Amino acid sequence: MAHITINQYLQQVYEAIDNHEGSFCAELLSFKHPHVANPRLQLASPEDKCQQVLEPPYDEMVAAHLRCTYAVANHDFVEAYKFQTLVVQSFLRAFQSHKEENWALPVMFAVTLDLRIFANNAEQQLQKKGKGQPSEMLEKAAEQLMSCFRVCASDNRAGIEDSKKWGMMFLSNQLFKIYFKINKLHLCKPLIRAIDSSNLKNDYSPAQKVTYKYYVGRKAMFDSDFKPAEEFLSYAFDHCHRSSQKNKRMILIYLLPVKMLLGHMPTHQLLRKYDLMQFADVTKAVSEGNLLLLNEALSKHETFFIRCGIFLILEKLKIITYRNLFKKVYLLLRTHQLPLDAFLVALRMMQVEDVDIDEVQCILANLIYMGHIKGYISHQHQKLVVSKQNPFPPLSSVS
Amino acid sequence: MARPRQSTGTERDRRPRGDPLRSVKEYSRPAAGKDSTNPNDLRPPAVLLKTVHYLIDDIAASPSLHPWTEVYSFVFDRLRGVKQDMIIQRVSGLDCVAILERTVRFLIYASYRLCGEPLRLYDPRINDTHLQENLSWLLDCYATGTEPHPNQEEFQALGLLYNLGSARATQHIMELPERLRSTPAIRLSLSINRAFLDRNPVRLLRLAQRLNFLQCCALHRHLVTCRRDLLLIFSHGYSSRNCRFPLDRLAQLLSLDASLTAQLCQAYGLEVNQGNQVVFSKAAFTEPEQGELHCKLYHNIVDEKQRDLTVYFRKPAGKSTVHQCSFILINAVPQKSFNKFCYLKETLWPVISLINF
Repeated sequence: MAHITINQYLQQVYEAIDNHEGSFCAELLSFKHPHVANPRLQLASPEDKCQQVLEPPYDEMVAAHLRCTYAVANHDFVEAYKFQTLVVQSFLRAFQSHKEENWALPVMFAVTLDLRIFANNAEQQLQKKGKGQPSEMLEKAAEQLMSCFRVCASDNRAGIEDSKKWGMMFLSNQLFKIYFKINKLHLCKPLIRAIDSSNLKNDYSPAQKVTYKYYVGRKAMFDSDFKPAEEFLSYAFDHCHRSSQKNKRMILIYLLPVKMLLGHMPTHQLLRKYDLMQFADVTKAVSEGNLLLLNEALSKHETFFIRCGIFLILEKLKIITYRNLFKKVYLLLRTHQLPLDAFLVALRMMQVEDVDIDEVQCILANLIYMGHIKGYISHQHQKLVVSKQNPFPPLSSVS
Repeated sequence: MARPRQSTGTERDRRPRGDPLRSVKEYSRPAAGKDSTNPNDLRPPAVLLKTVHYLIDDIAASPSLHPWTEVYSFVFDRLRGVKQDMIIQRVSGLDCVAILERTVRFLIYASYRLCGEPLRLYDPRINDTHLQENLSWLLDCYATGTEPHPNQEEFQALGLLYNLGSARATQHIMELPERLRSTPAIRLSLSINRAFLDRNPVRLLRLAQRLNFLQCCALHRHLVTCRRDLLLIFSHGYSSRNCRFPLDRLAQLLSLDASLTAQLCQAYGLEVNQGNQVVFSKAAFTEPEQGELHCKLYHNIVDEKQRDLTVYFRKPAGKSTVHQCSFILINAVPQKSFNKFCYLKETLWPVISLINF
């Protein structure tokens, strides 16, 4: 296969289209397939050849694909991106004319995936040369993907079997990748809404669903909706294929903070298994109520946490750490009327910056408000009066 | 108000003549069939910067032009026109940064100064949209430009204070290089942001006293939420039948005077008894109706606002209110030379806290 001639190649494409062999056709247009390394196909102007064998718009699509392989062979990704855009555009024209059939979906998956990858590479190349606006390429690629998405989402006539709607989740996942990269998370919302309201949402392939839930979970996390975030990310983690360790690790990076916020601490083994020891001290600090250690752990691995976008979420663990610290104070004093000074001493021990009794009261009031402490503060007596039963409810029962 | 673009000497004529030296191109909405790219109508970056200087130094900061709502609407419109010209020409570089910085300062100041004005004179939402657009463009310029930006610290801090608690703004600041993140202004605004996210209004209000005037302007729209949070969590934390909380203590925490504190408590359904003690109760806490709270207090303090501002602004050099503003708009107080302008901090803080929560 690696060294077939251009005529043989075009013949194969022709037959694949003619027989509606979506997967084979997808291979012939994908950069994951070895034919792209075949120098006999890397042509600067394959248009005439293509026109001889293929009908429009397929001839344009394949010609653009071959020119793209030529550009990639020359390591010119800006050029490659340009031709891949043409591939997607001519594909879309063909795809729209396929009434009530969806055999070409695998082709769409292949060409849109390559489009996103080339946009990424092109952008990096431009940045190195100091040209172009940041994320300009990715934004343009997102527009292309969106037009594919619209074609799929508006396919209301075909029956379920032949519906183009089966392409929606794949495209949303590609778009999520772009939106997360260029930091435009608000654009995810219409996609999520479209998938949520579709009757196919539970029947997509497991791989697509795992990716989808991963991104929707991260979005929920970003919006501080931790309960749904935990649900989505747990689903992704449980259903992710066991051989995809790297993906499982990526899911954990987001799942761990959310679980911790809801009171579930990860075990040492888990952190070790997935090479996430950055979380070890954080976990320890939170469970012990050790604010000092928490701050140290956060600043030690700051770069990692910021890059993953979880620094802010981890900072929220401070509230739980306060709760655990204050619970210790309660256990030490063994009374239900705790002097506020005791908490002040505890916070000063943890070297909290210029903290005073007003702030202690504020922190306690917040913990009571959030349901982490059952009780009330008496300003007259400068005491925290806690409930005789279960003054520090288990974290999993709160929030 | 005399139109700033009118030629002096012709104001009394039936059709006053325009002064070509002082006329500024109006904003006009792009529409089909209209050619907005005609080079004769576009101003190059250097001219745009000059225009912005004129709009802010001579118009917005002029002591003789009032009411300020009208000054605002004029300057706002012309700045919008400037931005349009910039977009059409894809202006970038130092001129662009200078224009955006001045525009952002103006819009932040306006968001404070005009807070509570009737909607037909000042629409906070429109001001906010423009402010956000200019700000994010400015931050993009900082991120992509290779030349040094001496004011970057100031504007990164303002951006965070204005968008306090926003995940996006916080993440943006976190991703800045350590060198920038550890500058005093950004450190302070990060601490304030953290206090906001931790729901620790006591710390927030305390830290806010260290802000300079323009930073207070940026923060002020969050003070309602902040004070509400404090009353909310105290309503839960101190919810006990026999417990009372002294009003003046609460006033101190809220950075308000006692009578406004009492009003605020009542707006949230909390009782203040004869002995000037607040009776916190989680059952009593209620959110005020939309607009009710703001409006009510606004009526009570509008006079105070005027008077205090004038008094405080006049104190240091005997300059008028607007002159002092101009000083702020043109060169917002840099953190380093802050001590020189300490009066701003000390004298303005109580006013700001009094006026706009």
